Parts: sequence; structure tokens; C-alpha cells
Amino acid sequence: MTFAGFTLAQLWPVFAAGAAAITLLYLLRMRRRQVVVPFAALWERVTRESESRRLWRKLRRLLSWLLQLLVLALVCLSLGDPRPEVWLRDPVSLAIVVDTSASMSGAAPDEPDTTRLDLARRRAEQEILGLGPADRAVVIGASEEIEVVAPLSGDPAGLVPGLARLETHYGEADLSRALALASHVVGERPGPRILVLTDGALDPAAIEALQACIDGPVQCEVARMGGPADNVAITAFAARRYPYARDKIEVLTEVENLGDTPVKVVLEVEADDAPVGRTTLWLEPGQQKREVLAQLDAARSRFVARLSRDDGGAGGDGPLGLPHDDEAYAVVPPLSPLDVVLVTDGTNLFLEAALLVLDDHVRLTGLSPSEAREGRRPELREADVVFYDVGAETLPDVLPAAHVVLFDPWRHPSSPSPITKKADVVRPFLTEQDRSHPALDHVVLKDVNIARGTTFEVVPGDQVLVRSLGEPIAVLREGEHATVVIGFDPRQSDMPMRAAFPMLVDNLLRYFEQREAGFVASVPLGAHRELSLADLGLPPDGVGRVEVSGPEGLSTTLPVERGRFRLRALRPGFYSVTAVDGPPAGSSVELAVNQASLHASDLHDRIEALELPEAAQASAAVEAAPLSQGPLWTLVMLVAAVLVAIEWASYHRRVTV
Amino acid sequence: MGWADRLLARREAKPSPEDAELFDDAFLQRLELLQVVARRLFRGRQRAERKTRKVGSGLEFADHRQYSPGDDIRYLDWTVWIRLHHALIRLFEEDEDLPIRIVIDVSDSMRTKDGAKLRYAMQVGAALCYVGLANLDRVGITCASGRHHATLPAVRGKGRIFRVFEFLRAAERGGPTDIRAMCSRVSAESRQPGLTVVLSDFYDLDGAFEGLNMLRFRKHEPVAVQVLDPAEADPTGTGLRGDVQLVDVEGGPARDVTLSPRALRDYAEAHRRFCEHLEQSCRSRGIFLARAPLDVPFDDMVLRLFRQGGILR
Repeated sequence: MTFAGFTLAQLWPVFAAGAAAITLLYLLRMRRRQVVVPFAALWERVTRESESRRLWRKLRRLLSWLLQLLVLALVCLSLGDPRPEVWLRDPVSLAIVVDTSASMSGAAPDEPDTTRLDLARRRAEQEILGLGPADRAVVIGASEEIEVVAPLSGDPAGLVPGLARLETHYGEADLSRALALASHVVGERPGPRILVLTDGALDPAAIEALQACIDGPVQCEVARMGGPADNVAITAFAARRYPYARDKIEVLTEVENLGDTPVKVVLEVEADDAPVGRTTLWLEPGQQKREVLAQLDAARSRFVARLSRDDGGAGGDGPLGLPHDDEAYAVVPPLSPLDVVLVTDGTNLFLEAALLVLDDHVRLTGLSPSEAREGRRPELREADVVFYDVGAETLPDVLPAAHVVLFDPWRHPSSPSPITKKADVVRPFLTEQDRSHPALDHVVLKDVNIARGTTFEVVPGDQVLVRSLGEPIAVLREGEHATVVIGFDPRQSDMPMRAAFPMLVDNLLRYFEQREAGFVASVPLGAHRELSLADLGLPPDGVGRVEVSGPEGLSTTLPVERGRFRLRALRPGFYSVTAVDGPPAGSSVELAVNQASLHASDLHDRIEALELPEAAQASAAVEAAPLSQGPLWTLVMLVAAVLVAIEWASYHRRVTV
Repeated sequence: MGWADRLLARREAKPSPEDAELFDDAFLQRLELLQVVARRLFRGRQRAERKTRKVGSGLEFADHRQYSPGDDIRYLDWTVWIRLHHALIRLFEEDEDLPIRIVIDVSDSMRTKDGAKLRYAMQVGAALCYVGLANLDRVGITCASGRHHATLPAVRGKGRIFRVFEFLRAAERGGPTDIRAMCSRVSAESRQPGLTVVLSDFYDLDGAFEGLNMLRFRKHEPVAVQVLDPAEADPTGTGLRGDVQLVDVEGGPARDVTLSPRALRDYAEAHRRFCEHLEQSCRSRGIFLARAPLDVPFDDMVLRLFRQGGILR
């Protein structure tokens, strides 16, 4: 408290003189009012009894004297024009960025039934109440979307109610955009300052944005609201059909203990509200486990996985850390067989057999090399995958617009293969293979005997599947359509006799299928997820709008541009996408949205690793000013006036006289 | 003339309550219809409209007594003599007048608040005088205090009421309240006891009842009319609070007191107990005491309260 008017040294003499004058007036004998009474004898008898109360009357006069001194002290105080320290500093423009990501709903330390967001809300209120008369503040909530919950203002009465609008959302905090907004709002104002209220459980992008803010021109401080980091989350959940049995489904669930203590959990999976699996998992800190439910009926389309605490039947069903990552959703992609064209001279029955085995999954059409060269068959234009296994025949000049698998494409000098030949090889050995590539999953090419072949020139972006003594002999080139070239003829090798051959064919088809429509069945949370209608299994041609229904039951119509639209999915669950116009109007597909993010579920404070400088660590909030605005002496004078009014009223009510 | 003289002149010019007309004609006409009734029959020296047991020239037979020498033989009952040979004298009830004495307390305690109580007492006293005179009674009036004492000898006849008014206007006022001395002197002056009406506030802690009892002892029939100012009897509603100096209107030392609501309530309670004690004492001696609060209109008081007390008929 500082006196902006008279100093304390000047006020003391004033108070002393006033107090002396008041005391003198009280010491002077008060001239009593004369009241003439007709029956003095009776009055004397009555008033004789009240003599015993004289001490209280004296005390009452003492209280009256003290009251007058108090009024004098208040007047002297108002002459000093007292002001809190916060009023005398330079004005501050404060942007409070509150992390409202999912992790902020985690427990606060040492306070039961209190979330980290509650702590952040409390801290923000303290900051707002500590604003000086010239200060301004804005409150921004940062989750997947940015929200200004309290616009720039200096009135705590307008700012504090906005804090009630802060609530946690699913997903991560988009601190990058929030800090950019905060910097834009206060950057040009006097005394800019950004205060970030977060638990520190941020993803790398947010950490990077925070670091950039701290290094930026605007003073940026971080106040952390960390707490217990125990959390078990479903980090992946997917369902797929078996390649060989499309009427069967397998469901993969990935569970990870992101906390610091071992935990025993129960994982339950439901399909169309019917339980299909239940297992108990013991997870050490940091341990991740995958659970696969095999051979499920493909008639079921919606899958939900739930985690719960296994407390030995004690009945506790509390959340394992964050509640919303204990549940995940998945839908089974629709069954749409691949259109596969096999261009063959009819001499490689092994390849035909490998494709025919997939009859439910593959709609196979056989063409002769001559038909393929003529290019008049419509199957070629509509095919998803074309296998060219022409043996000694020549390949067509132009390859169709589909995924293509070419066996021994450079048997003849001219070839439509986009991947150029490097060299002819006699009796090549398959010495290296990319085991991590899904096309070679479970495929073993060891000791394959090959009569002859060619190696290829690769360009950046090509994926070498198999090498022969270091030279690429099987290459995958991605593009609008993928192209796989295998530099030998199966007929000239013993590969068709091996189990690896049908598996390679199946892996290739599965790989192509996953690039095609119908395989995007689950997307992560996000404010703007760009999705392709084709990826969801809807033909995009002619579709201008789609209607999206979320788990809240709300429907929104979104525009479609070149077969793509932006989905705003801020809540995990099942979403329905329906074509509004175009040929597929009324067609609908389902989509699962999951949090399924390690960063969003990890409650550990990632800011500790930043080793924030001292200036970037927010100190405790300043004390709330007694008045947010206006001179304090007016309040003091108001108190003095109230005291005088009380004295006046009591005097005239004959209480203090 | 200076401002002090003008102020003094203004004060002198202020009409006193005693100078105002005590009654109007309409009120006097109503009082003529009333008669004063005494509880006892008193012997009067002149014929009037009230009966006594004195054997006289009345018309209504009352009793017999034995003849004794010297009795007027005109009153001998010859019928009894003829039948029984007993000499009996016939006694008649004779109509006589009643001596009425009105005593008005003119002490300073009656003069507070511009003498409202004294004015009220004088009006009541004048009304009683008029009624008595109108009934051919002999009415005397006394204005007394601890300092002054003035008496108008008994007069008869309605036309003397103006002497009564003149006497009341001219009577000296002031002095302490001394009921005992006042009653003692009144009884000494009265050669014939009668109805003695004392109008006062009786603010005399020890002497009020003793004075009334002395009248009774001297064969008077005392009637007490206690004139009360309600504001004086219960000052809780007057707004009187705080440190004040109480000054006795009849003299005596001033007293510094602090008047709290509780003290005012205590005074009202003490005043009530004093009045009740005086009334109880009077009742025990057969003395009628009537309270005359100032908030009761004067004419109602005369017509109603005095009728209840049996004074008027």
C-alpha cells in the first residue's frame, strides 16, 4: 500500500491535532438540557435506581469518543490517497491461455475431486482479480479448437464468469494456434504478457509452439498444474476382415500403461452391443500389450473396446486415469471385392490358383496377352489390380490405370514398365528382402532358384522389396496407382512351388486393397480432418455434399470438393457419412473416431524436459486488489460516512447520548 | 423600546388560560338539568330541594318521637293521642340546601404546559359551582397551594356564577403543592361540613391522602378529582431522552439524570403505582376519587365521570 497523496509523516500531525480537538470537546462538560417536571419527587425516586448504570454510560461515551477518532483516522487515511502496489505499476496486457485438452481432466495433486482444469481455472481467476485499473486480460481455451472464453477486458466482473465456460475437450491442445492468437491480441498492447496454464502433458507440436513462444518477443510464462500421471489407455483399436475368409473378422486392441505403477485391467470388446471378448491384462509401467480377437463373425459392424480396473471383484469401476481413452471404437470396412484382371498366356496355373483361392475377396477376370494389348476389354478399365504374367509374350504398350504387377517386364527390349532395367542377371539369388514391408509379410524367399532375371534402376521414392546381391530385383513404385515389378518369370523359378508365392500374391492384393476405398474405418480426433469419400467407401463422382451425424446426434452438411471433405470430429464415437446428392445420394457409410493418441493420454509433464528459464516460469499470482478501479480513498470516505451516519442515527435515537 | 421590552410585552400580551371563557352558554344550559346529589343528607339553614331528617316544616312525613315539654304542639299527633293516649310528635323531612366547597389546587405543578391542568381544573370546578348554584345550594370555592390561599364565601343563586368566574380569574397562583395544609385550612374555614370537591393532580407523595382523610375526619364528604396530563403520566412517547437536567417546577434542587427508554418506562410505572395507591387509600376510607385526564374532553368529563361518581344526578 502506498500513499499517493499526503505522506504518512504529514498525516500524523493532522491526526494528532484532530484527535486532541475531539478529546478536548469530549472532556468539556456537556451543558445539559433543562426539563421542567411537575413531580420531581417521583422522578428522583425513579432515577435513583439508574445511578448504578452510570459506568455503562461512561463506557458508552468512551465508545462514542473512539468512534469519532476512527472517523478522523479514516479521513486522514483518505487524505493520503492510499493505493495498492498493483495500481502503481505499468499497465499489463495479459493473455491467459488455458490448456483444455483431455489430459487437463486428470486429477490434481493433493486435492481429491479436483481436476487440473479446476486448478487452472482458479489460477486464472487469481490473475484476473489481481489486475490493476489499467490492465487488460483475455482468456483463451486451447484444445483441438481455439476458443476465446473471455474477450479482452479490464473488468473482472466480465472476465471471471467466462472461466466457467472452460471445459476439457477430447484430443490435444493446439497451443500453436492458441499462442499465435494470444500474441496477436496482446502483442501490440502495452505490457504484453502471455500466461500458459497447462499440465505439461503436451504433444511435440505443442511443446515446440510453447518453446517458440518463450523465445519470442512477448513475455511468455508457464504455470504448470501437473498431477498424478497414472493412466491406462487404448492406444489402437482396429478391425479387419481376413484376406482368405472375408466373412470373418479379427479385432486388434492395443493397450498401454502410461502411468508409473503396475496395474491390472480388464479389456472388454463388444460388437453391436454384444460382448465378444473379455480379458484381464497385467501391465507394468510403460508396458504395451496387443490383444487380438480372432474369427469373429463379419456380420457385426460396430466394435467398442472398454477398459476397466480389475480390483478383484471389489466392484470398483473408476476410470483408469483419463476416462475417455478407456473406450475406443471401430467399424468393419464394407465388403467390396477387388476387381483383378490376370493377363496370362495360360501357362502359370500357380498364379491363377493363388488368385482363385481368394474368390470371395477377388473378382478375377482372365485375359490373354493379345486382348490386353488391344486394350478394348472394359475389365481392364474397371480393374483395381492387373497382373501381367505373359511369359514369352510381349506386354502392351500402355499399362492400364490400375495397380499393376509385372513379372519379368524386361524380357523383351521394349517394355511399358515405368521402372527401367539395370542389368540382366543369370541365376540370380534373392539375398535380401524388406521384411517390414506388408507385401512381404510372412514371405520367405530364401533359396529360391531362378534361371534368369533382370535388376532395376530405382529412383528416390521406390521401395526395394527384394534384392539380389544388393541389386533391386523386386521394386514397388508408389503413385496414383502402385506398380510392382518382379524381375524374373515365375515359370523360370521354383517359387510357385513354395508357400511364399501365394502369400506374396495375397499380400500384394491386401496392400493394394488397403490403398483403396473402404479401408479408412477409423480416424483420430481433430477439428479438421480431411477425408476422401473414396477412402470411406462412397463413390465420389457427382457428390457435392455429405451429411455427417456424430455421436451427439447432431447432423451437419459438409461440402465435398473433388471427392474430399473436412470432418470436424471432436468427440470419439461412431459417425455416419451420407451422400446428399450425386449418383450415390442416400448411400451411407460409418466411421469410427477415436482419441487413440499416446500424447493425449500420457499425463506426464513434458515441459520438465524443456528446462524452462526462470523468466518463463510463472510466479504466484498477485494478491487481489481491494478495488479493481477507482481511487481507494472514496471507499475510505464511504466507510467514514457510514460511521458518521450510524453515530447520527444513534444520537438522534438517544442511544449514544 | 428595546428588543427585550418588546419580547416582554409580547409575553405579557399572551392571554393566560385562566382569562379565557370557561364555559359557553350551551354548556351551561346542559348543566342546569343536573342535580348535585350528596351521599349523605346534610342539614342546611335554608330551604332547598334536598331532604334532611330534620323535623321541620316539610310536607313529607318521616317519623314520630315522644313529646317533650317545649315542643310545638302543632306537631302533636292527635290521632295517636285519641286512640292510644300517647303524646307523639310528628317529624317531617325538610328540604334543605347542601353546602358545597370546591377546592382547586393552584400550585405550580398544575401550571405546566401553559397551565393546561389548572385550566382544566378551573373549568370543572366552575361547572360544579354552576350546578350547585342552579340547584339552590350554597357553593363556596377555594384556590389554594402551599403559598396562596383564597376563598370565596358560600353564595347561593345561579346569578352568582359570575362572581365565581371573577374569583377564579383573579386568584393568585403558584407555590408548592401541599394538599394537607390546603385541606386543613379548608376544614377550619367551613362552619358547616359538606361536599368538598378537591381538584388537584395530587403530586404530593405524603400529604395527598392525609389531606383528604382530614376532610373526612372533619365530617366533610370529600371527593377527589385527580387532573392528569397523559404525557406527564407516561413520558415514553414524548421523545425525551439523553442527559438532561430535571428541574422541579415547584422549586428545589435540579437533578442531572440520563433519561433512557427504560428510565421513562420506570417513571410511567411508578406514576401508575402512585395513582393506584392513592385511589386504593381513598376507596378504603370511602372517599370517591375520579381521574380526569386532559385528553378526555372537558364536557364529557363533567357529564360522564361525575355521573359515574354519583355527584351529579
